[in-house]
Amino acid sequence: MNYMPGTASLIEDIDKKHLVLLRDGRTLIGFLRSIDQFANLVLHETVERIHVGKKYGDIPRGIFIIRGENVVLLGEIDLEKESDTVLQPVSIEEILEDQRCQQQAKQEAERMKLQVLKERGLFVPRADTLDEY
Amino acid sequence: MSDSEQQQESEAFSPTTRCQGDRESGSEAEDDGGMEECTLLQEMGEEDEDIDLYNEETFGLDLEVRPDEDPSDILVFCGDESPGPPSPPPCTPNTPAPLTQVLPVLNGRPREKRTLRRGEVFEDPAIMRTVKSRPSLKSLDSAIVDSGIGSPCDSLDLDTWMLSPFGPSQTSVGPMLQDQAIVTVIDSQDLARTPPAPLDFLSPLRRPFPMTGGGKRGGQRGQQPLMRPLGQRYLSQIPMSPLLTRSPVCPRPPFGSPQHYMQPGMTVPQPFTPKMLQLRFGARSPSPSPFYSPSANPMQQFRFPGHVTQLHPQHRRLLSHRHQRSHRGENLDPNGQLMSMKEKEWIIKLQMIQLQSENPHLDDYYYQEYYRRLEAKMAEEEMLGERGKREPPKLTTPYVTKTESYTPVVHIEGSLGQVAVSTCFSPRRAIDAVHAHLPEESHFSEQEQKDARQQRLTVLHNIEKLFMVLLEVEEGEKRKRSMFSEEEQVRLEEKISRRVKQIYRQLQHPPNLEDSEEFLPCLLVSKGKRLMARLLPFLSESDAQHVLKVVTDHLPALMNRDTDEALPVMYPSLSTVIGELSFNQLIGVLKGFTSTLPDSKEMCLTIACQNKFGISLLYALLSQGERLLSSNSPMEAGIGDYETWTETVFLVARRLSRSSLVEPLLLPSNLISLFCRYLDKHTVHQLEDSMERSTASCPAVPS
Repeated sequence: MNYMPGTASLIEDIDKKHLVLLRDGRTLIGFLRSIDQFANLVLHETVERIHVGKKYGDIPRGIFIIRGENVVLLGEIDLEKESDTVLQPVSIEEILEDQRCQQQAKQEAERMKLQVLKERGLFVPRADTLDEY
Repeated sequence: MSDSEQQQESEAFSPTTRCQGDRESGSEAEDDGGMEECTLLQEMGEEDEDIDLYNEETFGLDLEVRPDEDPSDILVFCGDESPGPPSPPPCTPNTPAPLTQVLPVLNGRPREKRTLRRGEVFEDPAIMRTVKSRPSLKSLDSAIVDSGIGSPCDSLDLDTWMLSPFGPSQTSVGPMLQDQAIVTVIDSQDLARTPPAPLDFLSPLRRPFPMTGGGKRGGQRGQQPLMRPLGQRYLSQIPMSPLLTRSPVCPRPPFGSPQHYMQPGMTVPQPFTPKMLQLRFGARSPSPSPFYSPSANPMQQFRFPGHVTQLHPQHRRLLSHRHQRSHRGENLDPNGQLMSMKEKEWIIKLQMIQLQSENPHLDDYYYQEYYRRLEAKMAEEEMLGERGKREPPKLTTPYVTKTESYTPVVHIEGSLGQVAVSTCFSPRRAIDAVHAHLPEESHFSEQEQKDARQQRLTVLHNIEKLFMVLLEVEEGEKRKRSMFSEEEQVRLEEKISRRVKQIYRQLQHPPNLEDSEEFLPCLLVSKGKRLMARLLPFLSESDAQHVLKVVTDHLPALMNRDTDEALPVMYPSLSTVIGELSFNQLIGVLKGFTSTLPDSKEMCLTIACQNKFGISLLYALLSQGERLLSSNSPMEAGIGDYETWTETVFLVARRLSRSSLVEPLLLPSNLISLFCRYLDKHTVHQLEDSMERSTASCPAVPS
């Protein structure tokens, strides 16, 4: 039940497991322990989950304090449904490797694109934001 | 808290526990120290070492007994460790401490524990385990029950001693026992309830969070129940009897010498458990440490307005119900309730402040409208026969009544002005509301000064109030024009005239100022002059003329005290009034000009010539006279009026030609012709010159 109907508040989300997406593209999963008026979050038993394709890997991170402005979105995780996933957990090393490959491929593609555009005299303007999500 | 403190505390922590469990053994004080250190060492080792939690071997290794050592000799166990760095694999050595498992060495750390009294340590429920390098959130903040630190690795490490009983391998160590006991307790308590999944380490099939990643472990984990690194935290949450009975699951150390653990009569090797009793959890914990709680938040210095300080009862109810409900459900979550009710309320209050509004229907239109429609719909449905639906939850925002209370002006005695005090409710003070300390008054007594100040403030207050009424009047006047129905117009006109009279009366005799001249107190204030200027058009002829008379009568005083040079604002309205004067009335007014002032031999005229407003007024009057005279309409002049008029003109002319003139606001063009009539050419020319000189940039107005 909402304390303040008609408003959004994180109070009800306290002590629940959440998935938080940050502006730098990271995905964190943790128990939301504390909030404040800026929606700064304290996540407990945080795990950074890296997704590559259908695989994911978790890196345990401990306690996270996230500045509110860096949060893109967050949502509660249903603990019962948490395990019903088609995603396949792998080891950290593996996922990091996969991620590296993925990043490389992306960069390569980006580079190629820029190259092609440059040949045609078009320049892609720099992204205004540094948001990676 | 410094690390050393924590360490001390944690050091003291375990020995005591051990002591309690060790009663029969009659452990020595030294052992206490040893135990403290051991705990710490062990923690450190766990932390630093990337141990495979669920690796019994590792675990087992830790508990290997050194053949030459007496396993029960904790001293040996701990003492031996001095040289070793914390990093290397957990305690190779020795003695599987009966209480603890991994006991890496601390670099020559002296055993200081005894310095800390047991009581101290026990008092702080937050001290569960601390690590040298990182302050425990819990130890620093006693409100935090869970002292899980840093990476889950650590906690996972800790869990090694919690885990084994449930793992396939039954090679658990002493510490496991305590967990067993705990588990038993939990089990018995919570059999009826389904504990939240992550905490349910009783159910081997559930995979609690977080999953331990890492290839190392992954494979080995397999289907092992991944225990949440919370296990130990349970200890703090669950009050336990000092004498924990042996749990049904008896841990069997790999090397099979439980006796060692059960050693000197220790029922359960438990560094922490006995302490649990004395720990106060959650709500009962001492006040939160400053560094994170809102109470220390600098924001708190901001004073909530009274009506917001108390959380709305509805919200409070909701919050507490919810809290109770969640609290019951989360009984098993030792990490929960990091945020106390107080903090939640604080945040809600803060959010509510932003919703404050004197006019919610204006400020929060969409919300209000939505709920209005929703309720209307509900009401309709109800009427149509459906059972009265429960009222949709509506947010009750704090409706703010206009804050009348205003922190009084900070006036330091004897200061020249006021201190600029701004708060979030009044960011900018009306600085000019406080009258500047005039130097002349310095010789007055304190009391008189105070009275003067008080009076002035009263006057200002009155003026402000009357201004509001005036604004209403002007507004009404504007609306009148756009009104269609006669009736409404009439009504409006009545209202306007009533208001105007009210202002007039109040200006004439301001309340709270008994013995004052008519209008004068207000006219002495620049805003009062402005008020009068705007009011004049609305006044009846007689009233307006009365005002004019007052102004001219007190002109010297007004001019004298017009520090802001606000008099000219009255000129336009007054000139309009003058324009409607009859000759007789005009003469009456002019008489005031030519009278000598009581204080000096000077004429009001003289002084008027030196003042912009004064001279303009004079010119306006003369111009009016001239106009009247030169017009062909019959004049109702009284006896001696003409004489007075001529006299005045002469006087004025003489005065004007003699003294340098101040530039008037407006120079009526018929003045020259006026003077022409009465004066000789020479004088006229002189006058002309001097007037022109003074009116270089003054607009000439054809009368």
